[in-house]
Amino acid sequence: MLPAAAEPAAGDSWGMLACLCTVLWHLPAVPALNRTGDPGPGPSIQKTYDLTRYLEHQLRSLAGTYLNYLGPPFNEPDFNPPRLGAETLPRATVNLDVWQNLSDKLRLTQNYEAYSHLLCYLRGLNRQAATAELRRSLAHFCTSLQGLLGSIAGVMAALGYPLPQPLPGTEPTWSPDPAHSDFLQKMDDFWLLKELQTWLWRSAKDFNRLKKKMQPPAAAVTLRLEAHGF
Amino acid sequence: MSFGGVKHSFILAIPPVWKYLCKMLTLQTWIVQALFVFLTTESIGGLLDPCGYINPESPVVQLGSNFTAVCVLKEKCMDYFHVNANYIFWKTNHVTVPKEQYTVINRTASSVTFTNISLLNIQLTCNIRTFGQIDQNVYGIRIISGLPPEKPKNLNCIVNEGKKMMCQWAPGRETYLETNFTLKSEWATEKFDDCEAKRDTPTSCTVDYSPVYFVNIEVWVEAENALGKVTSDHINFDPIDKVKPNPPHNLSVSNSEELSSILKLTWIDSSIKTFIRLKYNIQYRTKDASTWSQIPPEDTASTRSSFTVQDLKPFTEYVFRIRCMKADGKGFWSDWSEEASGITYEDRPSKAPSFWYKIEPSHTHGHRSVRLIWKTLPPFQANGNILDYEVTLTRWKSRLQNYSVNDTELTVNLTNDRYIATLTARNLVGKSDASVLTIPACDFQATHPVKDLKAFPKDNVLWVEWTAPNESVNKYVLEWCVLSDKLPCNPDWQQEDGTVHRTYLRAPSKGPTVRTKKVGKNEAVLEWDQLPVDVQNGFIRNYTIFYRTIIGNETAVNVDSSHTEYTLSSLTSDTLYMVRMAAYTDEGGKYGPEFTFTTPKFAQGEIEAIVVPVCLAFLLTTLLGVLFCFNKRDLIKKHIWPNVPDPSKSHIAQWSPHTPPRHNFNPKDQMYSDGNFTDVSVVEIEANDRKPFTEDLKSLELFKKEKISTEGHSSGIGGSSCMSSSRPSISSSDENESAQNTSSTVQYSTVVHSGYRHQVPSVQVFSRSESTQPLLDSEERPEDLQLVDNVEGSDGILPRQQYFKQNCSQHETSPVISHFERSKQGSSVNEEDFVRLKQQQISDHISQSNGSGQMKMFQEVPTANVFGLGTEGQVERFETVGMEAALDEGMPKSYLPQTVRQGGYMPQ
Repeated sequence: MLPAAAEPAAGDSWGMLACLCTVLWHLPAVPALNRTGDPGPGPSIQKTYDLTRYLEHQLRSLAGTYLNYLGPPFNEPDFNPPRLGAETLPRATVNLDVWQNLSDKLRLTQNYEAYSHLLCYLRGLNRQAATAELRRSLAHFCTSLQGLLGSIAGVMAALGYPLPQPLPGTEPTWSPDPAHSDFLQKMDDFWLLKELQTWLWRSAKDFNRLKKKMQPPAAAVTLRLEAHGF
Repeated sequence: MSFGGVKHSFILAIPPVWKYLCKMLTLQTWIVQALFVFLTTESIGGLLDPCGYINPESPVVQLGSNFTAVCVLKEKCMDYFHVNANYIFWKTNHVTVPKEQYTVINRTASSVTFTNISLLNIQLTCNIRTFGQIDQNVYGIRIISGLPPEKPKNLNCIVNEGKKMMCQWAPGRETYLETNFTLKSEWATEKFDDCEAKRDTPTSCTVDYSPVYFVNIEVWVEAENALGKVTSDHINFDPIDKVKPNPPHNLSVSNSEELSSILKLTWIDSSIKTFIRLKYNIQYRTKDASTWSQIPPEDTASTRSSFTVQDLKPFTEYVFRIRCMKADGKGFWSDWSEEASGITYEDRPSKAPSFWYKIEPSHTHGHRSVRLIWKTLPPFQANGNILDYEVTLTRWKSRLQNYSVNDTELTVNLTNDRYIATLTARNLVGKSDASVLTIPACDFQATHPVKDLKAFPKDNVLWVEWTAPNESVNKYVLEWCVLSDKLPCNPDWQQEDGTVHRTYLRAPSKGPTVRTKKVGKNEAVLEWDQLPVDVQNGFIRNYTIFYRTIIGNETAVNVDSSHTEYTLSSLTSDTLYMVRMAAYTDEGGKYGPEFTFTTPKFAQGEIEAIVVPVCLAFLLTTLLGVLFCFNKRDLIKKHIWPNVPDPSKSHIAQWSPHTPPRHNFNPKDQMYSDGNFTDVSVVEIEANDRKPFTEDLKSLELFKKEKISTEGHSSGIGGSSCMSSSRPSISSSDENESAQNTSSTVQYSTVVHSGYRHQVPSVQVFSRSESTQPLLDSEERPEDLQLVDNVEGSDGILPRQQYFKQNCSQHETSPVISHFERSKQGSSVNEEDFVRLKQQQISDHISQSNGSGQMKMFQEVPTANVFGLGTEGQVERFETVGMEAALDEGMPKSYLPQTVRQGGYMPQ
């Protein structure tokens, strides 16, 4: 095909056509377009994004049940206490500028760490839950959250980032403070669910952002192919 | 145990493995059963010591492979029986294995080899022949053969929305062995619980946990049996890609008044749409169709909750259904939703009705009567309900005449001029195009007539053929009528295209389908639908209904074509009728399918008409009965709880012939006696009425007979009832007494109330009392005496009367006033009576207090039938009196004493 391109004088149009045909012929062999090849982190990011939305959906019904289980005032729609206790919970809220300027690695690491903590707390919550039905839903949610952690880890691995190692001795556990009154304990539970919700919202944004960032390479492949063709 | 005993008995202990095997397998032979006997013995005492053993103990062998078993004899046994390995012979399923397959390994061991095992279940025994003739079993094993599991294939999983994941696979060939399938699943980071396939569904398993969408899971199956273990290929998938959503629900269909060709569907998606995109399949069909049409899938390839279906026919009912799946095509289609139907809006009639005319002779000169006729539009052309037809008639240069007709014909009087008639059908939405018809003037002559008109039957239809004129023809109108002797020529027509030159006359191609609307006892309302225009092929002139019973003749009824209902009357009830219908046009008729119905046995409401009054009558009777019982409760009470006379109160003293029984002849006494009119018979006796007389005589005779037969079971005391002091009864009692008693003791008959119920009196009922209680000795006696004393002075007959009253009212609980009232009602009340009444009341009062005690005693009679004999006897006898008149049947034995009493009044 290269000789065809090098002879612009005679049979120029034929050469172009031949070149085009060859390019088309070789298209399926281009790894970037080949579905069977390594798809890169794109699909797994998409999947993680879907998972956060699925979890958010799941949490909505779970939180409803659990807050009803806690009883009033926690299940009242306008209940909005200031965050006092639950200091150990990872905070999802962050300054917009800071969030925008987060590196992919840091973004993923923060997510990973937050969910590992939240998962531990949630498992404690599961142990306390009184009704079997609630325990079942919590257990399923824990499993799903475990899946999200695995998914994030998968994305990080695909991008070549190391998994954050938990500092020894700082393994978070959900141990209700005996000094806490029943109300304050419920407050902790309330905040755990609320924080989880916020984190899921944030993660959806995080992964949406990552997803968009990861898309351009596909276009680059096409460009490179054209350059190669001519 | 004896070693030299029965042939074929096992002389070995059975190892536990063998036990287990035996349990697993069906026991088929007696040997195996016998084995168990030994087995238990072994387990209990360990008495058995095998003479040898087979190695291996419980082999599972692959089909087609070779197998070798070794039987090793024990030294002790060999010494005892003087045998060695050469004496060993093998049997499989009771058949001796050929010697060629044996190998004697050493003095104690012999082996057998089987090649290419094909039987699934072989019972192999090692035997020895002792003393040259006695065969004995040494050991037995069961060889089970089968195949190792094949690698499970086609593993696939499905996640029904809201449920748990279910995976299934193809298990491969039959292994003939118990094979366990285990579904294993894991994430990259976590393992899930195994899923053991159930025995009855070895090709599928539903996992315990809810699937987590968007996280890939790895799943595989392990198949394992005694011969091996294989693992299927691992499959790795995201559960969301295996999801089968719930079908959309609440599907509804609405039409649009603006567009008659569209219907809008709305539905509610399953909740899974919150995190996945869906695509849909929408299918529809007309109500009568059986096949579904599908909306192009590309139109429904994204999540939505409504869809507008276009290009539908107006005024047609369509049925819709919808299903969904994940938009990217991964996963499974949901089930179809429930069907929903809707009718498209009406549109104006799409075609003008077929229009024709008939000129009828008119008497008026210069005018003619023209009957304009047209055919109804079939539904697919009517596009709605035809409200009416508009006919306009135009004569040359004259104004328009408008008619609005509901029928399909119009008769107008026209002049002999040429007219142009137009016809439009109108529905809710609009008018059809106009059919234009030229009614030529009277003197019009066609210039190019159709020639060579021929008609011939072919394929069950009448064909018409003609030669077309040279000029171009717009259309032909074929007109015909049936030649009939009975009917006038009733013209029908059909329009044919201008290019056609042969056609056939269209008679109905289908008969009407008749059915019953209502079936009564003697009548049935039949109904049918108008034949669709497509199959009418002409005007339906009339219908004929044929009906018959299974055996009866067919009856035909002609019905006008405008009807769709007919009532068959004078049918027989509870009969099977067969009815069918034919529709006739001028060309002929066609039968519809036969319909059978059965007239009910009862007309509607007839059963109710019978049952309700019966129930009411029953209710009324019951009520009256209850009322009656309530009114006569004292009588019933007496009947059920009879008053047993108290011997201590028996007035033997006053029984003497000196005391005349006159009081019994006093009608007033009876009247006072608690309203107990059973004593009326006594009054009749007094009045010398013949009837009771003879009755009494008869009863006396009856009694005498009874007396002989019962041999004194009814004792003499029966005769001495409360009001009787008759000689015959005394004599009879005297006879008994003299016959059976000593002077110091009296025997009483004990008659419990059971005797009144016409039951055969048992020995107990009439058992004789051994009581030696003196007749006149009673604690209650003083009262009675006192009472007698009180009344003695006033009237000579009163004491007896009062005594009677006392007995008769012993268990009276009704207030004293009742006696008073009753006596007042009596017609022959006088001063004397009133005085007597007063005294009676006093005695009542006294006796009531006694009565309660007596009643109590009496109630205990059935349990201790000799208890309180005297009292019982008294009550008993009184009751006899009370019931006498009420019973007109032959008197039971227990009544006999009473009969005697009555007889006692008769002159003898």
